[in-house]
Amino acid sequence: MKQNVYKKPNVTVLTIKAIILDILAWAYMALVSYKIIYEKIIIDERYPEFAWNQPLYSLYAGALIAAILFFTKLSLGRGLFGLIKFDENESPSSQAFAYIGYLLILLTFITGFYVSQISLKEFLSESGLEGAKRIFKALFNPNWGIFQEGLFAAIETIYMAFIATAVAIPIAFILGFFAARNLMNGSAVAFTFYNVLRAFLNVSRSIEPLVWAIIFSVWVGIGPFSGMLALCIHSIASLTKQYSEQIESIDDGPIEAITATGAHPIQVVWFGVVPQIVLPYLSYTIYRWDINVRMATVIGLVGGGGIGNLLMQYQGQARWNEVGMLVILIAAIVWTMDWASSKLREALK
Amino acid sequence: MLEIIGLEKVYPNGHHALKNINFSVPQGEFLVVIGLSGSGKSTMLRCINRLHDPTGGEILFNGVDTTKLKGLSLRKIRSEIGMIFQHFNLIPRKTVMENVLSGNLSRTGIFASIFGIHSNETKALAQKYIEIVGLKGKEKNRADNLSGGQQQRVAIARALMQNPKILLADEPVASLDPATSHSVMQYLKKVNEELGVTVICNLHFLSLVRQYAHRVVALKAGKLIYDGKPLEINEEWFKTIYGEDAVEVTIN
Repeated sequence: MKQNVYKKPNVTVLTIKAIILDILAWAYMALVSYKIIYEKIIIDERYPEFAWNQPLYSLYAGALIAAILFFTKLSLGRGLFGLIKFDENESPSSQAFAYIGYLLILLTFITGFYVSQISLKEFLSESGLEGAKRIFKALFNPNWGIFQEGLFAAIETIYMAFIATAVAIPIAFILGFFAARNLMNGSAVAFTFYNVLRAFLNVSRSIEPLVWAIIFSVWVGIGPFSGMLALCIHSIASLTKQYSEQIESIDDGPIEAITATGAHPIQVVWFGVVPQIVLPYLSYTIYRWDINVRMATVIGLVGGGGIGNLLMQYQGQARWNEVGMLVILIAAIVWTMDWASSKLREALK
Repeated sequence: MLEIIGLEKVYPNGHHALKNINFSVPQGEFLVVIGLSGSGKSTMLRCINRLHDPTGGEILFNGVDTTKLKGLSLRKIRSEIGMIFQHFNLIPRKTVMENVLSGNLSRTGIFASIFGIHSNETKALAQKYIEIVGLKGKEKNRADNLSGGQQQRVAIARALMQNPKILLADEPVASLDPATSHSVMQYLKKVNEELGVTVICNLHFLSLVRQYAHRVVALKAGKLIYDGKPLEINEEWFKTIYGEDAVEVTIN
């Protein structure tokens, strides 16, 4: 029997969280209003100067506004943490504090608009449209003369992605067990290992394959090998995480039953865990290969070999007819892989 | 053959599941454990084969205290104790034969078992137990495609494959319909009477208890409050075990 210990939320802690949220929200609004609304829109400064005392002053201003409004109905923090009482029949989105939230979103939208330098004038300018027309025209007149060259590069990309996935599978398969909480919470040593592995995986997953490709192109030289290594590292981290999550969601029953027969722990994993995870694993793995083919194209752009590399070369020389040919090839590969992998995964269900 | 002395179990979250449990089970008995959900029945069974570790007391299995065992000697003791479960806990996607053979894992080498290498005697034995539970002809069927009652019979065959001295059954019929419940109970009775395996079985329905049990123990909030003949459980005892508002539901 599980014991339910219902902990009442601590009002002091919630109030402190609410104050911090209020101060940060108002400081953000103050800073954005000054930098974007005032400097860019109202006085239209071309190169507004930035000084570190600006966010500092915003913080003071934020704290001041937050302090004034904290005990009114306009405190966003108190509203979000449930410290403002209102009629249960009313929806929270129509409360006064919600309007502060809408203001926050509006300011962010305006800022985003200016930071992205959205300009219809440039989008529709005559010379710009002329350039776009030129490129599109070339793209739709692909140079079939490089079809063979492009095809070989594409094959290189597909095999590179395949090997990266294939090398990652056994490593991720083994690491997956060690990264599964329900298998590793038996002893303190195992749990420490689990935490270290998880941290390591999270770090390597948060580094984009593009960055890995740059690192490896310096390490082993430009070419498919560096691209393959980059994809491999990323695949190991991603697959291990997906595999271990699959292990964490399995039914404990068969594990219990196999343990009860007096089986060795390795047998318990093989007979109690593995049969439950084989199909989802296959599905994840095929999807990963599919992703890797797409990523391999991008990775080629930074010297990872394959069709991406070729694309980069022709694009650098502004040879748009050739680029058009490659774009068609890439689209064909991605579409085929997408279709094949979804069919395969469907068949596995 | 099984003696439980002062058994205690406190879960890490502080829940005191078993409080000073004492009883013994002679060879060949069909013992039924009753009690409300959460009274500690499942925990007690799992302490016997150490799926849960007791926090105090002793469990003597043929004179050996199982609570102190580790590693190989623990696996050896587990192999002599068969267990079946409410949700059958068969290996999904595997055939009936493979599931029954998994009862023999403790006597199969790790690599041999992974590559599915079994001696002809082992296979013949598995075949025999499949026939005993009435599943002849289903050997190559996937176990998870069978009906609930059939799955539980596969689980019994798997437990028998261990050649157990004792069989633990944790609410074996709780997820089955009444007719199938009787069929499964009949097989447990057969295992008990014909193969001489001692059975300890958790049950919910008193009507099944009266029909199959040699002896009954009742748990309430982790304490053993009744130990005696099934027919001696009268209205008064029923109210004590299941609470004042309980009404007996029969299953025929």
